[in-house]
Amino acid sequence: MASDGDVTLEIEGEPVVLMPEHALWLPERRTLLVADAHFGKAATFRAGGIFVPRGTTATTLARLDAALARTDATRIVFLGDLLHAREGRSPETLRLVAEWRASRGTVEVVLVRGNHDRAAGDPPESLGIACVDPPLLEDAFAFTHHPRSVEGYFDVAGHVHPAVRLHGRGRQFERLPCFWVRRDGMVLPAFGDFTGLGDVELAEGDRAFAVADGVVMEVAVERVE
Amino acid sequence: MDEALERVEAWFASRGWKPFPFQRDVWRAYLTGESGLVHAATGTGKTLAAWIGPLLEASELSDASPAPRPASRKLRVAWITPLRALAADTAESLREPLEALGIGWRVETRTGDTSPAQRARQQRRLPEALVTTPESLTLLLTREDVADVFGDLRLVVVDEWHELMGTKRGVQVELALARLRALCPDVRTWGLSATIGNLDVALRALLGVGAPNDRGRIIRGVEPKEIVVDALIPPVIERFPWAGHLGTQMLPQLVVAIEEGRSAIVFTNTRSQTEIWYQAILGARPDWAGTIALHHGSLDRKKRDWVEDGLRTGKLRCVVATSSLDLGVDFSPVDRVLQVGSPKGIARLLQRAGRSGHRPGATSRVTCVPTNALELVEVAAARDGIASGSIEARLPVTRPLDVLAQHVVTVALGGGFVPAELEAEVKGTYAYADLREDEWRWVLDFVSSGGSALHAYPEYARVVVRDGRWIVENSFLARRHRQSIGTIVSDGHIAVQYLRGGSLGSVEESFIARLKPGDRFVFAGTPLEFVRVRDMKAWVRRAPNVKGAIPRWMGSRLPMSDSLAAMLRERLGEAARGELRGPEMLALEPLFRVQSRWSRIPGPDELLIERVKTREGIHLFWFPFEGRLVHEGLAALMAFRIARTLPITFTMSANDWGFELLSVDAPPLEEALAKDLLSPHALLEDVPASLNATEMAKRQFREIARVAGLVFPGLPRSGKTARQLQASSSLFFDVFRQYDPGNLLLSQAHREVLERQLESSRLGRTLERLTRGRVVITEPRRVTPLAFPLLVDRTRERVSSESLADRIRRMQAALEKAAG
Repeated sequence: MASDGDVTLEIEGEPVVLMPEHALWLPERRTLLVADAHFGKAATFRAGGIFVPRGTTATTLARLDAALARTDATRIVFLGDLLHAREGRSPETLRLVAEWRASRGTVEVVLVRGNHDRAAGDPPESLGIACVDPPLLEDAFAFTHHPRSVEGYFDVAGHVHPAVRLHGRGRQFERLPCFWVRRDGMVLPAFGDFTGLGDVELAEGDRAFAVADGVVMEVAVERVE
Repeated sequence: MDEALERVEAWFASRGWKPFPFQRDVWRAYLTGESGLVHAATGTGKTLAAWIGPLLEASELSDASPAPRPASRKLRVAWITPLRALAADTAESLREPLEALGIGWRVETRTGDTSPAQRARQQRRLPEALVTTPESLTLLLTREDVADVFGDLRLVVVDEWHELMGTKRGVQVELALARLRALCPDVRTWGLSATIGNLDVALRALLGVGAPNDRGRIIRGVEPKEIVVDALIPPVIERFPWAGHLGTQMLPQLVVAIEEGRSAIVFTNTRSQTEIWYQAILGARPDWAGTIALHHGSLDRKKRDWVEDGLRTGKLRCVVATSSLDLGVDFSPVDRVLQVGSPKGIARLLQRAGRSGHRPGATSRVTCVPTNALELVEVAAARDGIASGSIEARLPVTRPLDVLAQHVVTVALGGGFVPAELEAEVKGTYAYADLREDEWRWVLDFVSSGGSALHAYPEYARVVVRDGRWIVENSFLARRHRQSIGTIVSDGHIAVQYLRGGSLGSVEESFIARLKPGDRFVFAGTPLEFVRVRDMKAWVRRAPNVKGAIPRWMGSRLPMSDSLAAMLRERLGEAARGELRGPEMLALEPLFRVQSRWSRIPGPDELLIERVKTREGIHLFWFPFEGRLVHEGLAALMAFRIARTLPITFTMSANDWGFELLSVDAPPLEEALAKDLLSPHALLEDVPASLNATEMAKRQFREIARVAGLVFPGLPRSGKTARQLQASSSLFFDVFRQYDPGNLLLSQAHREVLERQLESSRLGRTLERLTRGRVVITEPRRVTPLAFPLLVDRTRERVSSESLADRIRRMQAALEKAAG
C-alpha cells in the first residue's frame, strides 16, 4: 500500500520506492532493502558498563513490520551491520529477533555482511537468514554495505548513516537522516533505532531525500564551498 | 611551640617580611583544631597563612626530623589547586620555609602532568605534602588502600576555592572532602578564596553540613589594594558596534599602552581572542617577536611554563592571556594590565587588576580596551561596582547526579562501600544536603542494575554487591572509570600534534570536526595545516604564514554578572536623562544621539522593544540588560508564549544587553503583551515547556553524559571494543527520552538549563522588574546601535509551533524562490 510519504524514483529502468520507515522497496523484485539495523547495540553498551534502556530492538523490529505491511515483499535484504557486536548477542536481543523471524517465516531474508557483522558473527543458523559477502549482484544493481565499493553497477549501500543539514530563511536549521542518491549508486539511512547520524557532503548531481515526520522529501542542499 | 614560632618569625624577617595578624590568626585557629576560610586579594600571603600551621604542629610533635624519614610517615597535608599549571609553583613556595624551620618534609605534585615514574613512586609512598588537582585527588580515592594512604592526613587546603565552588569540580571537591573526613575524622580543612559576595555559603560548602563542630572560621586577610580602572577611548566611536568585531582600530593605542610599562598582561575573554590579539600585536610590532607570548588553558604545558617563567623573570614584555593567568602565581614584574573586551563581572575585573602591583599595599590598575563602543558603558559600570563593593556571589552547584554517580563508582573502586554509610557521608556535603531518597536509590541503581529491581539488566554490572559491600570487579570498567575522572573539565578535547612529533595543546572536538584536510588555522600563535584525525589526535603540519580560521572555543559563554548588569542599567538611565558622566560615557555621545533619534535610550524602569523589518523578516529586539543567560531564557519564554497563540517559528539570538526574536511574519506583539506575556506567573511550567522546543537540554546533556560515564574519550590501545561503545550524547538523550523518560539524568539536564544556564531565579526577578516597569515599543526604519550587535550575532536558537515537515517545506519553498 503506497503512502503519501513515499517517494518513487526510476533507477536503472525500474521503480524504487524510498520509504519513510528508512527502507527501500523494489516492487519488481518484491524486495525490501534495509541497512544498518545494528541489533544488539544497546546490549553491547550495557555489557560494556554503559547504561542504555531496553526497547530499541523492539521498536526497530516494529518499524520493519510496518514497512513489510505496506508492501508484498517476499524478500528482505539487510545491507550489512545487522548485529552490532559480539558482546551484543544477548539472549534477549536474539530472542526478539528470532520471534520476529518466526512470525515472518515465509519471507526470504538475506544479509549482505558489513564491517560490524564480521566482528559480531552471523546470526544463528536457526533464524534462517542467508549470509553472503558483499556485493550481492543482481542485473545492474550491487547490494552492498560500503558505498562506492563496486565498479560498473548501481550500488545500494549503507554504512554511513547519512544525514543532511538544512538551512532556511530566518536562519532556521535542521539535521535529518536521508537517502543519498548519486548518479551511480545510493545510500540508505540507518534503520536501527539506536544509531547515530553522519553528515554527508553532496557533490554536483547528488540528490538527498530527507526523512521527517513520516515523510520522505527531496531537499535542495546548499553546497558549502 | 614558642621556639618553633621564633624560627618562623626569623624566617619571615630574613625575607624582609613580618607575619600579618590574619596569618597568626589562621595558625592559631589551625593549632586549636579549627577549620575555616581565609579570604583576601591575590598575592597577600594566603598561602603562608594556611601552610605555617601544620609546620608548627610538626615541630611540636618533633615529627619533622630532616634525617632518615621514618617509613611510618605518611601524607600529612593535601593541597588542592584548581589549575594543574599552578601546582608546580605552589609546591615551590611551600618548600621555601622548610629548610629554615628544620622540617624534612617532602613536597610533591600530583596532577595530570605527573610522570609515570613519579606516579609509581607515589603509588608506593606519598610525600608528607601533596599539591594536587580535584581530579587527581579523586583518582587517589580510587586506590584500594585508600584508608591507609590517607590515614595520617591532618590538613586539606583548598586553594582558590571561589574558582571551584560554582562548578561541578567544586562538587567533586566537596565529595572528596567528605570522603577524607570519613577516612580520618580529625582532618582540618582550610579554604583560600578571593573575596566574594557569599563567603558564608563558601564556608559551608567547604566544610559540609554534617558535623556540628564543623562551623569553621572566616578570617579576613589584608585590606584590598587601591584599584584604578580606566579605559582606552577609541578615537572614532563606531555607531554600529559588533561584538564579534576584532576592534583592531584599538591596536595602535593598545601597543602604546604596552610600551608604557615594563611588562604587561593583556587579558582577553576567550582563547580565540587571545590568538587574534597576539597575531595583531605581533603584526604591529614585528620587532617584539620573542618578547611577546600568549597563554591560554589549551596550550601545551611546556609552552605555558615557558611563558610563566618569562613573566616571573621579567623577560617578556607582554603576554596575551585568558583567565588561565587569573590565578595564583606571583608575577611581580608585571606593572601593566589590560583587559580587552567586556569585563563581564566586577570580581573578575578586580582579580585581573590585582595581577599588577603584585605587592601588598601597591596600587593596582587595569585599563580596559573596548572591542566595541558599547563596552565603554560596561567599563564605567564596573568602576561604579568596585567603588560600591558590589562583588558577585558564587552560586554552588547542588545535587548534580552525574557527579554523584561518578563518585559512587570511585568509592566502590576505593575499597567499596555500604550504601547506608555512604549515603550519610554524601548528605553531609552542602551539595547533597537535600538529596532525596529516590534520587539516592536511583543513583545506586544506575551504577549497578541499570534500572529498578523489576527491570534489571543481567548484562549490565558496573558496580556489584559482594557480602554487602559495593565494589567494582571488572578491570576494564575500573580502568575506564579512572580515565574518565578528568572529564568534568575537558569538553571533548582533542590533542593537536605535529606529524613530526611535538604537542601543541588541545582544542574542542567541535572545532576540529568542522575542518577538512588541507584547511588552515591558527593555534598557539602558529599557522597550521590540518592533516587528519587519528587516534583521538588532530595531526597538523606547520603552514606558511597565512590568514586562517582561529579556533572558536566555548570560553566565550561567560555572561555579564548580575552586579555589573545592575550598574549598567543605572548608567544607561543617566544617559536617558542626558547625563553623561566620565570619559567613557562622554565618548559615547554620538552613539547615544543616533540611538535616541532613531529609537530611544531606555530609562531604568523601561523595557525597550524595537520592531524592525528587513529582508530576513520581522526582528523584535528586546533590551532588558540582564546578561546573556537570562536573555536566552527570556527569548525562549517570549517565543514560546507567543507561539502558543498561533503557528509561528522564531529564530533567536541573545547577548549581554538584550535578545532578538526573528520571524518571517509579524508576531502579534501588542496582543501578547496585553495578555501577560511578561508575567512571572507559571514560569516554572512555561520555561521547561519552551525548552522542549529548543535543543538546550540536549546540549547540556553532553556534559552530563560524559561525567556519568556514558560517553568517554577514546582509550588508546583498547581497539575495537572501545569503538563499538562510542555513541554521541545526543543519541543517548534521544534514547533515554523515548525508552527511559524517568531517567534522572534527563531531569538533571533540564534542571541545569533552568538553574544554571538560564538562571531561572534571576529570570523570575527580571520578569518581576519588567512587569513593574513600562514597555516602550519603537519602530525604527533601520537597525539601531543597540540592536546591531544582536543582528550580527551568530549563535541562534529556535522555537516553533509548526510541524517539522511544514518547516522544511517552508525552507524548501524559500530556497526554490531564491533560486528563481
